[in-house]
Order: sequence, then structure tokens, then C-alpha cells
Amino acid sequence: MWTEILQGAILASIFASMIRLATPLLLAAMGEMIAERSGVLNLGVEGMMLMGAFSGFMVAYFTGSIWLGVLGAMLTGGLMGLIMAFMAITLKVEQIVTGMALNLLGSGVSLFWHRLLFNKTEEVNVATIQIFQPLRIPGLSDIPYLGEVFFSHRWLTYLAFALVPMIWFFLYRTKYGLEIRCVGENPRAIDVRGVNVARLQYLATIFGGLMAGVAGSFLTLAASPRFVPEISAGRGWLAIVIVIAGNWMPWRIMFAALLFAFLDAFQLHVQGVGVLIPYQILLAIPYVFAILAMMGSRARSEAPRHLGVPYLRE
Amino acid sequence: MTGTRRGLRFPYRLERRSDVGRWAQLAWLIVAIVAALIASGLLLLTAGADVVEAFGALFGGGFGGWRELLETLVRATPLILTGLAAALAFRAKVWNIGGEGQLFAGAMAGYWAFTLFAGLPPVALFLVVIAAAAAGGAAVGWLAALLKTRFGVDEIISTVMMNYIVMFFLSLMLSGVGPWREQGSYYQQSAMLPESAQFLVLLPRSRLHVGFLLAVLAAMAIHILLTRTPLGYEIRAIGFNPTAARFKGTNVPKVMAVTLAISGALAGLAGAGELFGLQHRLVMDLSNGLGYTGIIVAMLANLHPLGVVLAAILFGGLTNGAFRLQVATGVPSAFTFAIQAIVLLFVISASILSSFRVRTVSDVD
Repeated sequence: MWTEILQGAILASIFASMIRLATPLLLAAMGEMIAERSGVLNLGVEGMMLMGAFSGFMVAYFTGSIWLGVLGAMLTGGLMGLIMAFMAITLKVEQIVTGMALNLLGSGVSLFWHRLLFNKTEEVNVATIQIFQPLRIPGLSDIPYLGEVFFSHRWLTYLAFALVPMIWFFLYRTKYGLEIRCVGENPRAIDVRGVNVARLQYLATIFGGLMAGVAGSFLTLAASPRFVPEISAGRGWLAIVIVIAGNWMPWRIMFAALLFAFLDAFQLHVQGVGVLIPYQILLAIPYVFAILAMMGSRARSEAPRHLGVPYLRE
Repeated sequence: MTGTRRGLRFPYRLERRSDVGRWAQLAWLIVAIVAALIASGLLLLTAGADVVEAFGALFGGGFGGWRELLETLVRATPLILTGLAAALAFRAKVWNIGGEGQLFAGAMAGYWAFTLFAGLPPVALFLVVIAAAAAGGAAVGWLAALLKTRFGVDEIISTVMMNYIVMFFLSLMLSGVGPWREQGSYYQQSAMLPESAQFLVLLPRSRLHVGFLLAVLAAMAIHILLTRTPLGYEIRAIGFNPTAARFKGTNVPKVMAVTLAISGALAGLAGAGELFGLQHRLVMDLSNGLGYTGIIVAMLANLHPLGVVLAAILFGGLTNGAFRLQVATGVPSAFTFAIQAIVLLFVISASILSSFRVRTVSDVD
């Protein structure tokens, strides 16, 4: 097994897959981090991602434009973020329950519309679209191995990684970033200074939804050309795990996302070279690892103190 | 929380009330269900269906007659159990999202017990498989508690991850190399259970099996547990205020472990019912989200065990009616999953709104 895997070409392919597979995890985790930093525990990421994947595919299928598909996925995710924000911030419903409700909503609505649109026409197996092609960076993508690993990806992948320093800068070097970090830590302090707590939390939660939607669109507009029910397959939950494992810090979250993506890439290639391990065991690895990662990550120094606690002004 | 603003004299004030009357709750629940039906009606419009006809088929198919009602109870049986599983855990503010995985763990443990003790007389076999199923579900629930109290793993994360892991494990057991795959079958399924292992059917020419009685008994047992026993008191206490409970001498990790184990056992029993009472073979879509729907059932029942029975019957009727809906109007039966989530969103909103009251204020200042 190891001799087959430890070849330059295969290793390059594993690492290229890792970067590709990290894209949806990273996008969703960055959005979730911002929402959680503002104190809103959004457990609906899975549902938002699924709806993003679904609406992105549908818009692209019916308009013929994958760019509009990404926009549709963003808007859908943002809308679900708005529902989450309204329930959590305005109504102050238990955030855990609201998040679960959104997961079930995404699962139910996407399944319903999918059946509605495709089972009638028996198109269920053939409905595919033209997806984004890898964007090879001229010159750099020709470097042996490194070109394949780093410079031959879809634009959404470049975007996901470019967002890491941008979000870091926003969070730690701008006034709004400071305010968002403060809101999750001590909302009263920020309220006393005359900043609108609810507004900040709304924006952060909607941003989280947008990002989850885009993350979902990667699945149907860049990774595979079709939508299947439950295509998100727990990636939204993994994004939540990644935020915790990354201690709510952008760079660490990027490494955590890469780690999970590596496990996924590794199991894909192990399957690919025909090693006799049942594929179910390989597929379960990221989920088992998620539990192990939670056992190991005791460093929660950056966990927002008011995470999941509604702010009552009294 | 006041409706008055400076410079504006508004003679009403919205305030939170400390006690919410039963009738106010019920009234809001009805408002929420009506609102959810309207929202679901909009969804039906996207399917191009006649909304009145569609709802007619949905309710007619669920509650329209004796036969429909019996089939609704069949569908309600697992939902009562998974609903109880969620309700019990949520009472303690233990967020067990793992009903789905625990249901499958129960079904698998029950099936395993069946393969070991297939020769027993039917009644003994029945007792053995339900005990095994309860133990299987309980083990998965207890593992989540252990991960939480010993290793600090949030139970939401661990239970969700275990849902996926359990499904992969079942897939392995039913795969070509797995021991449970039906010989020579093209499908990923076990062999059919012999009649001696199948649950007793309660009424001739129906599919209502003894699991329904088990579920109703479980609801009563959980009700008594919560209201009449020290353990029930402790479960409610850690949900209300874990710090206070700890200072009063409650062993919080232990109560949490027991709660998750009982919760898992209930979901495991639901798995046994579906396997031995209804499908009679182990298949990948034994459940189709019953564990998740149980969460909605529990919320709809306001986490009350006896309310869970009613909510489960309502949702069983919806599931059942959705088949007639599909036949009569061509609207996919997956409509039920959408409607259930919409009901949940409206019900949790209403539960908050019911805790406010409008008060007339004669002199604000």
C-alpha cells in the first residue's frame, strides 16, 4: 500500500485533492467563525450548505450560467442566515434548536424540489451542467508537482484561501472586526458604547450564511456536475468542528480545514489504488477524526464568551 | 422589552411574563400550525398543485378513515420513541442529535441478537431482541456522555458524527464482504426475518404491531420518570440550572450519562420496531430520518412525554398522507420533510411569542 502511495505523482495528486477538498470546508468555516465571533452559534451550516448546493445547481441548470448559480447559492445561504439571525437575535429562540430546524429545512426543501423537478422527467440521472474548469495560473502551473498542487484549481478555491488573510485583517485590524470580536465577548460593553449589537450580529450571521451557501455551490458547480440529495454529507458539521479545532482564529482554521481535507484526499487515493480496505471504513475516517479532534483541542482560549447566549438589554 | 419609546406615548407595553398559561401556549401552538400550513401551501403552489385538493389528500390519507388511522399509528410508532428520546435529553438540556444513529445502532444490536438466538421461542426471542436493541442505542448514547464528561467533546458534535459513523458501519455489514448481506442479493439488504422473529401484529389486516404498545408504554414510563422520581427531578434540575444542581449535590456527569443512555435506548427501540415490526429486513433506508423527525416531534410537544404521543400521531398522519398526496396530485411525498421543518420553525417562534403579553399602560411615566 505505502509503496504505491509514496510516489511523487500520487503524492502531488493527494495534495492537490487536499486543497480542492478544503475549499467548501474553509469557506463555510470562515463564515461560521465570523458568526460565532459575534456570539451567534449557527448550527444550521449543514442545511445552508445543502441549500446552497441545490439552489446553485438549479439556477445554473435553468439559466445556463454557473456564475448566476454561485450568486443564487449566496443569496439562498444569506436568506437562511437571515432566518437564523431573526430567530436567534430578535426572537431569542434557543440557537441550537433553530440551527437544527434550518438543517431539517434545507434537507426537506431541497429533497422536495429535487424530486419535483427531476423525477417527473426521468432526468434524475442525466441532469448535469457544465461546471467551472480549473484556472491554471500561467507559468506557475507548469512547475512540476507544485504547479498541480497549488496553481491548477477552480477560482472558488483561490478565493477561499485568499479570504483567510482578508478575514484575518478584517477581524484584527479594522474597527468592525474589533466590534464583532467584542460583541461575542461582552455585548454589554459594546452596547454601552452606543454600537448596535443586534445589527452587528445580524450582519455576521448573514455573512456566515452567505459563505455556507457559496461553500455549497462549490459542490455542485465545481466539484461534481450534478446535485444529489444530501450532497453536503456532513461537511457543514465538519466546518463547525473546524472552527472549534482552529480555536476561532483564521489561520488555525485554515490548517484545520486542510487537515480534514487531507484525510478525505488520502482515503480517496487509497480507494483509487485499490487497497483492500472496505471503502466504508475509509469514508468514516473524517467523522471519527472529528471526534478525536474535539478530544484533543482543549485550547479554547478564543471561544467567544457569549457564544449562543442571547443578549438581553435590561 | 418595552413598547414605549421616548417622546412617543403608546398605551401598550410588551413584556415577558414569568408564567405562561397552558391555554396561551395551546393557542399559540394552533396559530403556529396554521401559519406553518400557510407557508407549506406556498410550497405546494411551487409544485403547481391545487392547494385545497393537496391538503385534502394529505389529511384524508392520514386521518380519513379507520384504515388510514391504523396506518398512521404504524408510522407514529417509531416517532413516539425517537420523540421521547429527544424530549428526555432536551429536558436536561443535553442536546442529543443522535437519534438517527442510535435508532440504527438499536436495529443492528437487535439483528445481531436475532442471529445469535434465532432458535428461541417467539416470546423469549422478542424479549431478547428488544433488550438488545435498547442496549445498542443506549451504548451509543452513553458513549456521547462519556466523550462529553471525560474528554470535553460537545454532545452535539459527537452525536452528529456518530450518526454518520453508524451508517457507514451498517453499510459495511450489509456490503458484499459483510456478514449480514442476503446471499446472492443484488441489493444492500439482509435476508428476510422468519415469521417467528417478526413482531406480533395487533389487528388483522393491518400493519400495526406490538411496537406501538411498547411506544405508548414508554411514553407513560418517561412521564412517570420525569414527574415522580428523584432521577427525573435531577434531569429537570440540570436542564434548568446545572450549577445550582451541582451545588445541591447532584452528580451531573452521572445524570447526564443516564439521560443519554435512556434517550439512546428509546431510539434503539424505535429501530427494533422498524426492523422486526415493519420492514422485516435490515436495509440502509430503514429509518429515512426518523431520528431527526423525533426532534421536531419533541419540540412540538413542548418536551412533554404524553404530548409526544399526540405530536407523533400528527406527524405519522402527515407521512402517511403524503403517499396519497403523491398518488392523487403528483406532489412528491418528500413534501412531508419540508412541512415538518416549517412546522418546527413556526412552533419554536410561537413558543417564544407566547411568553410575552401585551399590557395596557395608563400612565407610563
